[in-house]
Amino acid sequence: MLSASKIHDALKEQGITHIVGLTDNLCRVLFQSLMDDPEIEVINVSREGEAFALASGLHLGGKKPVVLIQNTGFLESGDAFRGTSWNMKIPQVILMGYRGYKSLTPEVEKKDSVAEFTEPTLKAWNIPYYTMLDDADIGMIDAAFEQAQSTSLPVAVLVAETTV
Amino acid sequence: MLNKYSCLEKLAARRKDEVIITCMGTAKPWEKLSDTLLDFASVDSGMSHAADLAHGLAIAQPDRRFITLNGDGSMLMCLGTLVTVAQRPCENYVLIIIENGTYEVTGNQNVPGSSFIDYQTIARGAGIEKVYTVEDEADFDHKLTLVFEEKGPAVFIWKVAPGQEPVPLFRDTIAVRAERLRQALVG
Repeated sequence: MLSASKIHDALKEQGITHIVGLTDNLCRVLFQSLMDDPEIEVINVSREGEAFALASGLHLGGKKPVVLIQNTGFLESGDAFRGTSWNMKIPQVILMGYRGYKSLTPEVEKKDSVAEFTEPTLKAWNIPYYTMLDDADIGMIDAAFEQAQSTSLPVAVLVAETTV
Repeated sequence: MLNKYSCLEKLAARRKDEVIITCMGTAKPWEKLSDTLLDFASVDSGMSHAADLAHGLAIAQPDRRFITLNGDGSMLMCLGTLVTVAQRPCENYVLIIIENGTYEVTGNQNVPGSSFIDYQTIARGAGIEKVYTVEDEADFDHKLTLVFEEKGPAVFIWKVAPGQEPVPLFRDTIAVRAERLRQALVG
């Protein structure tokens, strides 16, 4: 389990102004926590590709957004991500629900194909990523922001456990 | 039917300090009319996402007006944007759908549904109240003021004749152009 409130606090410490995304089961408690925060605006998009473009616009306009989506939505976003966050060199932190992570263990017979594609796709797209499994990993959020800022390129933080 | 180039000329003549975001078939024609720090060509970008980019900009900079020149092909690729815009409205957001019925930069192939699609109905159904379809020059001249003064979000559909534009190419990368826009807006 991952503490939604601790992730929330970590984002606030980074001075996040906006969350742009589309909720999923792993992150729904986190999503709600952020929606309840009057200091952060949550913008719900109709499809995840919009999130990268909208977040890029927020950044160019001087805000500090985080994209919060599921790995399925990231795969859908493909070219939208390439043409905005990547091509425009936006230091974008992406929080990504890692659906199917547990199905990757060898003893699990039925794999979730989205999990099989997630990390290879991130690698193919040259997107550095961190994987949060428990609260001890929440410090990866700071590392992701630091890396995004220093490279001026997107960095992903995978949420591999349900936020509670 | 309107003439796209004439429409852009009239828009450029009225424009002051609004940010103009172009894509595909409007990018190079607009560049000939205006190439300032507040002109941004969403080219070599995510296809169909100029309107989303503009939405983010409009949210971030509520005191400045953002006008997007979107193609109908681009609009069709991302209709959900209209709902996203409606549910997070911005008074400073104007979206112009330049409806010529074709994918101009790839040789004027028909956009799916171009013979029957109704962007006015779609935009209103998505929750946007201020939607205007413009089909002739007199109406264009009459409604041009609204592009600059209407409290948005506002969608204008310009019914234009197909033109012939090649794939737009820019000397500077979109990263350079994006940073230039950011500096102009944020400093």
